Amino acid sequence: MSLSAVLPARRSREKGIDGTADALLGLLLAAPIVIAMVALVLFPVASTLWDSLHRVNPMQAGTPFIGLQHYQDLLKDPIVNEAWRNTFIYVVICVVLETAGGIGAALLINQAGRWRRFVLAAVILPWALPGVVNAVVWQWIYNPAFGLLNGLLVAAGLDFEKYVWFNDRTVALFAVSLVHVWRMLPLTAVIVLAALQSIPADLYEAARIDGASRPKMFTNITLPLIRGGVAIAMTQSTVAAFNFFDEAWILTGSSRGTRPILVQVYLEAFQNLHFSYGMALSVLVMFASLAVSLVYVLRVQRVTRLD
Amino acid sequence: MNKLLRTTVALAALALAMPALADDAKPLAGQSITVLLPSGQSPNIASDFEKETGIKVDLQMLSWDDIRPKLITGLIAGTPPADVTEFDWSWTGQFGAAGWYEDLTPLIDAESIKDMPTASIFTVDGKLLGVPYANDFRILIANKDHLAKAGITKMPTTIDELIADAKLIKEKGIAEYPLGVPLSPSEGTSTLWYLMTFAFGGDLFDKDWKPLFTSPDSGGYKALQFYVDMLKAGLIDPASTGLKDSDVHQMFMDGKVTFDLGVGPGWVGAFEDKTKSKIAGSTTLGLVPTESGKTVSYGLPEALGIPAASEKKEAALAFVKWMTSKDEQIKLAAEQGLLATRTSAFEELNKQGKILDGDVVIEQAGTVGPLFKQGTPTWYPQFSSAVNNAINQAAKGEISVADAMKSIADETAKAQQQ
Repeated sequence: MSLSAVLPARRSREKGIDGTADALLGLLLAAPIVIAMVALVLFPVASTLWDSLHRVNPMQAGTPFIGLQHYQDLLKDPIVNEAWRNTFIYVVICVVLETAGGIGAALLINQAGRWRRFVLAAVILPWALPGVVNAVVWQWIYNPAFGLLNGLLVAAGLDFEKYVWFNDRTVALFAVSLVHVWRMLPLTAVIVLAALQSIPADLYEAARIDGASRPKMFTNITLPLIRGGVAIAMTQSTVAAFNFFDEAWILTGSSRGTRPILVQVYLEAFQNLHFSYGMALSVLVMFASLAVSLVYVLRVQRVTRLD
Repeated sequence: MNKLLRTTVALAALALAMPALADDAKPLAGQSITVLLPSGQSPNIASDFEKETGIKVDLQMLSWDDIRPKLITGLIAGTPPADVTEFDWSWTGQFGAAGWYEDLTPLIDAESIKDMPTASIFTVDGKLLGVPYANDFRILIANKDHLAKAGITKMPTTIDELIADAKLIKEKGIAEYPLGVPLSPSEGTSTLWYLMTFAFGGDLFDKDWKPLFTSPDSGGYKALQFYVDMLKAGLIDPASTGLKDSDVHQMFMDGKVTFDLGVGPGWVGAFEDKTKSKIAGSTTLGLVPTESGKTVSYGLPEALGIPAASEKKEAALAFVKWMTSKDEQIKLAAEQGLLATRTSAFEELNKQGKILDGDVVIEQAGTVGPLFKQGTPTWYPQFSSAVNNAINQAAKGEISVADAMKSIADETAKAQQQ
């Protein structure tokens, strides 16, 4: 090998052009997050998965390996199935309302001109509230005797005197979902607003010159270009609806008619002390949440590629 | 001179010995412990105990519902959540089976245990896991102003009388919903149904833990039917499906209900406190009304336990003994309205006239038995959850009384197998 061939190579290695030094630096910089993810996400997930295959119950000696027994029992458990049914209802109501409402709110905020930041700050407020606080506020709103909602409806001449919102299962499921939607809708609005603001104004200008109406511009320009943002918003809405706990717990406690699956996990683990049974259920919740979210994620990926 | 010298030396020796004598009186002085109790405890507990023993107390208070999850997360991890903790009667089965608490049998003298009849509720396989510090049993509490306005001169002793009185009070417009009954899916709903089951002459289980509430002529079935009928008659607020027992007590304090059914004498202090209650001065106590007229009740005491993982067991034990002593029980009764767990303290308080309607309380106390004769089972939380959920659903009209009873029996059978 000639000297001229060796020298540039050494020089480039020193500068990191061949990638070794860059790769090392990259690894070093990525190490903290990798370690954090392994310690705080992957290890607990793996540990939960492993424990769910054992009988972990402080009231019984030992932790024998029982394979998929818990998973088989969960499939046959009528109370767990009822909680699943409630959760899927929550997911549908929350995702539909948050997405439709979030897009609507984002479009309005986008038109707000110089008042946009103030409107945005007001819209974001419910999202800034902790779930428990939000639920307590709504508990007062729904109060049969002196709640704001019944007061307004009675003032409007409707027969809602001392109406108990949680005594009808269908109404209760919707009422509880609405509280969650109230808190999470602003996040969808912010994500969609960011997507809206990335659309070049020239496109609308060109459409206007071509004589396109406002609805046409919305369906042919706005919607296709915010698809990615909407898909991300729907993913977070879905995950949040699967993780629904605070609002349901505060508003209706462990009531079976409105009990979401995470409340069931809590009851199995902390009330009944069947830790591994609760773990197996939480593993199923994770997979269900991932499976539904995957639909949106794949959609985002496809949209991003097209973009 | 020699005399003076000897006196000086003697005084100096005495002065030097004083701290040592004080140390002997307070052998654990300087140690510190954490104590986890439900909210509402007297603020003087920590300072009074430190004054007497020299042991510092970090008193942590949480709402009753939040204590259990905190205890369990700590206990399962082998980390003591505190050196002394709340120990509710309903946890005895689970915590006993898990072996999370210290056996206090050899550490508490037999005389004290004899003086505390409810100590047996905290005993599992001969091991005393908690020393009772707050007594609780069910009794009937009413608003005597409401009764007087309706012309009712005596407390009801039978269920029929209770219904007749409630109807009269409603008809006269004194209270829209005279009967205060929690119907939300919460513990208070279960505990009242147990009482009503006894009041209708029934029991929960036989000696082999077989349910005794599924037949229409059983006490449990009749108790739930009573709720449904009273809801239909407009004597119980339909919004009770969202009320816990503490919410019902608040309604009683607001003067909205006449009879508080799911309550113990320990609440009288709050009901008679003018800063908390709008009906202070109007509380009256009666025996639990029953179908037959022969009153019944059962105990729901709270105890102090020492987690087995605690590293300061000696100081923790000193606290448990101090807080459950006769003197402290009398003091706590005066300061925070706690019902004494020692018979001797209870009698002393009644002698001093410090218990409202003391004779009624003592008569009811004489009828108090354990909820479960065989001891609290490990599956109690599942049973209680099944009970309050079924009651809640039946009260909302989602399921029939028969289905509710069957649902409780089915879930109990499942819990017993796990």
